[in-house]
Amino acid sequence: MAVEFAPAESQALQVLTIVALAPLVSGFIAHVEARLQGRRGPRVLQVYYDLAKLFSKETLVPEDAGWVFVAGPIFAFACYLLVPLLIPVLTNFPLPLGYMGDIMGGGFILGLAGFSVALAAAETNAPYAQLGSSRAMTFGALIEPSILFVTFTVAIITGTDLPYFQAAASRASVAAALRPAHLLAVLAFFLVVLNDTGRIPVESPASTTELGMIDEGRTLEHSGPLFAVLRWASSMKQLILYVILINVFTAPWGLAGSERIGSVLLAIPIFIGKAMAVGVIFAVIDNSFSKLRLFKITEFMAAAFLIAMLAVLVSILGGG
Amino acid sequence: MLAAVTAPTTFRDGADALTLLVLLTEFAMLRSSLSRSQVRLYAFQSLVVTALAALVAARHGLGDLYVIAGLTLVLKVVLVPWIILRVLRDAGTELAGSHRLGVATMVLIALAVSIFGFFTIGSMPFHSSSLPRPALGLSVAEILVAFMIVVLRADVVSQAAGFFSLENGVSVTSLVVASGLPLVVETAFLFDLVVAVVVFGILMRVHHRRTDTLSTGVLDRLRG
Repeated sequence: MAVEFAPAESQALQVLTIVALAPLVSGFIAHVEARLQGRRGPRVLQVYYDLAKLFSKETLVPEDAGWVFVAGPIFAFACYLLVPLLIPVLTNFPLPLGYMGDIMGGGFILGLAGFSVALAAAETNAPYAQLGSSRAMTFGALIEPSILFVTFTVAIITGTDLPYFQAAASRASVAAALRPAHLLAVLAFFLVVLNDTGRIPVESPASTTELGMIDEGRTLEHSGPLFAVLRWASSMKQLILYVILINVFTAPWGLAGSERIGSVLLAIPIFIGKAMAVGVIFAVIDNSFSKLRLFKITEFMAAAFLIAMLAVLVSILGGG
Repeated sequence: MLAAVTAPTTFRDGADALTLLVLLTEFAMLRSSLSRSQVRLYAFQSLVVTALAALVAARHGLGDLYVIAGLTLVLKVVLVPWIILRVLRDAGTELAGSHRLGVATMVLIALAVSIFGFFTIGSMPFHSSSLPRPALGLSVAEILVAFMIVVLRADVVSQAAGFFSLENGVSVTSLVVASGLPLVVETAFLFDLVVAVVVFGILMRVHHRRTDTLSTGVLDRLRG
């Protein structure tokens, strides 16, 4: 009789995987990106060292800032801890709390996290941080319709919008995964991830020019442990979005089918491998396109919305 | 056994994907700012239409359709783009961004128009034997978007490319409703396109000679 995890333990393991390995994936992407540009680049583990360094520093709070400035990053971190409970990170069957929220629920929690970071940035009275938070909210609102319509497509295809069911539908047959509606939904979601993880063509992740910043601009005033929490949270957000892209839409294979300790533990390296493969794709995109001008980003959003909308139309008219 | 079961759905999905690709290319043409890339997109779209015709021909064993696909390939993928690109080269001026409205606004308007086409035509109780159900709605949406290109772009090359791609949409529609049409009728349609190319070629040259630009924005100015 194989030793099994209790459901709660596997669920905790899902959260732990995201928390512990998100910096690894971020570091790996930064490393690959540097390599593609012919630089040696930071070590793969550099993000961990950065976090350790930041945690040992003191926190400086701007004069006018109140408790929101401190609470915002921590609240966002807590939100990102919550989302892995709802999505298939390691197991292909829903864990006890997996029914707590659907894709919309996960999206709301992610949105809440972004909102709390923006609120913390707006609290500072610093122009660049406020610019960043205002932009992040604006573009967040513009990309939202695409997310909604991707969810609608999922709902039409599977009859529910629980991520586990979409994953099961993608896994059930390759032919179903190659349906036009599904492909369009995947493409639209890919563009959404590109936007939400602050990647080119929307934002260049390693940029230091404040005027081009969107998501990065929000964190300019934070320092020390609070900044570490923000950086950690943003790498967790990236990995969470990769989970949805990989384990729900494109490649939900290699997940544990039972709660046997061996298969659940084996799912961790498989998943991180897949996340790194996706990260390489993002790094290649980063290196092959240029950043859009700020006022052209709406064109990118319009393209994402167009594709998501067509996905819904095609699935309504029987192409799903 | 498995192949026999999956074959029809594979055909359906392939046909759906190709029809959808035609529509997506149309949107890409609406967005693209360079006339040259627009013409290249038109060539690509024609290639997709050719593939679709060949797919339908292979599925239903229609020999005539292979001839049409071949003619489409020669005419729309090679000849027409080559002629427009030559006119562009001769004109020597390249227009960038002749959009009448912002790109995002144009895409949203075209999307609304295509949804209209999608639902009005797509919900008709019409059953095609040659292509799956969404194809008709998609092709009509494509025609309407092509129409929007002609309306929303203010240069002669885009308008010509929009008109030719509108003809592509009509080709897809004719594949849906009448893929068994006699060869003579189908070829007559293609020769219509040749006439249009000649007319548009002359129009572009005359317009360029008179106004020294490819933009239609100057046409409302008083002469004298």
